[in-house]
Amino acid sequence: MFISVFGYSLWNPVIWLIVFVIMAVVVYLFRSRGQEQYKRDTEQTRVFLSGEEVPGAEKVNIRAHNIYWGFFETLKKYYMVLVKPHTGIINDYVTWLVLVTALGAVTLYIVG
Amino acid sequence: MSTLILHSPILIIAIPLLVAFLIPLVGRASEKARNTLVISALVFVEFLVILLARDVFVNGIHVYTLGAVSADLTVPEHFIVPVRIILEVDGMSVFMGLITATVSLAAAIYSIAFMRKETGRDNFYTLLMLLVVGMFGMEFTGDMFNLFVFLEVASIAGASLAAFRLRFADSAEGGLKYVVLSSIAGLLVLFAIGLLYSQYNVLNMAAIASFIQYTALDKIALMLLVGAFVMKLGGVPLHMWTPDTYTVAPAGVTAMLVAASQASMYALFRTCFTIYGGALNLMTVGWIIIIFGILSMFIGVTMALPQTDIKRLMAYHAISQSGYMLLGVGVGLAVLGNPEALNSYGITAMIGSIFHIMNHALYKGLLFLTAGALFYVTGTRDLNKMGGLAHKMKFTTVFFIIGALSIAGIPPFNGFASKVLIYESVYQFSPVLSIIAMVVSILTLASFAKAFNSAFMGPELPQYANAREVPKSMIIGMAILASVIVFFSLCPGLVIDWLVEPAANALVNQGLYINTVMGAVVP
Repeated sequence: MFISVFGYSLWNPVIWLIVFVIMAVVVYLFRSRGQEQYKRDTEQTRVFLSGEEVPGAEKVNIRAHNIYWGFFETLKKYYMVLVKPHTGIINDYVTWLVLVTALGAVTLYIVG
Repeated sequence: MSTLILHSPILIIAIPLLVAFLIPLVGRASEKARNTLVISALVFVEFLVILLARDVFVNGIHVYTLGAVSADLTVPEHFIVPVRIILEVDGMSVFMGLITATVSLAAAIYSIAFMRKETGRDNFYTLLMLLVVGMFGMEFTGDMFNLFVFLEVASIAGASLAAFRLRFADSAEGGLKYVVLSSIAGLLVLFAIGLLYSQYNVLNMAAIASFIQYTALDKIALMLLVGAFVMKLGGVPLHMWTPDTYTVAPAGVTAMLVAASQASMYALFRTCFTIYGGALNLMTVGWIIIIFGILSMFIGVTMALPQTDIKRLMAYHAISQSGYMLLGVGVGLAVLGNPEALNSYGITAMIGSIFHIMNHALYKGLLFLTAGALFYVTGTRDLNKMGGLAHKMKFTTVFFIIGALSIAGIPPFNGFASKVLIYESVYQFSPVLSIIAMVVSILTLASFAKAFNSAFMGPELPQYANAREVPKSMIIGMAILASVIVFFSLCPGLVIDWLVEPAANALVNQGLYINTVMGAVVP
């Protein structure tokens, strides 16, 4: 099914919006059949950690550098190679510009 | 109204230029008067761009010859080549003009509150207007040397704006990197223009296109231009300045630097499709651009993932998204000489990429503005120090979600609309390239899920107990971009039919571009 031929068809955003609205209505119906005695900011809503003391918000919050640790550990070698050229030194940036332009010019001269 | 439309190309460039020089005078009288002048000028320019766009899409290419008896007198009597500076606005130029106008307006409104605590605001708005002048000039000009001039105007204004907040040590470094690399890129462009002028004795783009023979010197000039423009748009491996500069610039300025990088991308496409066109080795040059695209996509997103500085993360994503545009247009260029392939998937690839240019300018601009909002409230860009901000910054959270889902290519947002066109068309050219593009989208979603979780999710942190939503002008600036994104998301077909497809056809139709200026003159 190609969009250029058939238009967005199933990917039409209006269809997605209608589906989202229907799902939102279904979710609301499920929630409305929940516990009526539920009250916010009371003992009912306190976090329970098997009787342990609950740490403060600062300790509970997951920090950005902890996220995807496994991904970065697996690709350690890739990142070692990738990060190396990003020296932050402007001389290196200029070298890249000149070398890539020269390489491209030679390629075009030889290949056409 | 017809006079306004006739002179609109030069007015769109001249009005911001005039306002840039008036700002220091008006700013002495009153800050409110200065802000009103800036916003009014940009609103009027937006109106002019819309008028011009309508004229171009209905009546065809709009030429404007500076200093001539009539605006469409491109080749004077007794001459066989154009001798004046000509502004030639086709579908692609005016498409880029719409992006520039919208992003500039949103960024200027946003900056009213964001820059309130900074000193030297008159200088800031003067430079902002000069950056706008540079961008419009690059997009509308039909003259190579004029392109160089406006490239330099945009580069210097952009670098000055990036380094504006000198109280931060890294601001000067970011601005310096941008200005040094832009100067060298400008010199490469000037050298290329010199090579072309020495052979063909003309500077007009249409005239060069009609004379070009793809000699050895032309090949060197092409690579000089490609290298310079790829560096300006932040393409890998010439991208390293991008995170350094985008991170330190004020948020509104970063959004405009993104739009400026798209203006450089436009210059690259104009060079390849219009100036060189069918003369060059389409498959070779097409693959060079595709390789730049693939490298940008993959390296951009993998470098973004480990970042904990939110603006640096977004800057790497800007590099990655530029890769999609290079990929699609590269495929279009590679099959330009093959009518069957061009009609089957080439034009679709170009439509997807050109649509992606506009979508990217909008959602990346929005994301940088939300990053600015986070910095405004928390005083830091470090995601490790943020958390639970969704409790206090509801508008910013919603705008971030819109931007993040768009950039990740999640339906029904506009990012998906352009990406699916690129996936489908590039798949027919090479399935591997399309699969790489899809993997990059998944990694983009992962990256923004990380950023969203770190900044907005989780319990309220005690240090942000007194945090509040950002001022109204910043919300309005973000809302302008978000509402355009939502509109594009709901009506992608409309945008493609009215804006994108004419732009793609304008790029492909080199003959019409040449004939509009050169007419029936035989060199």
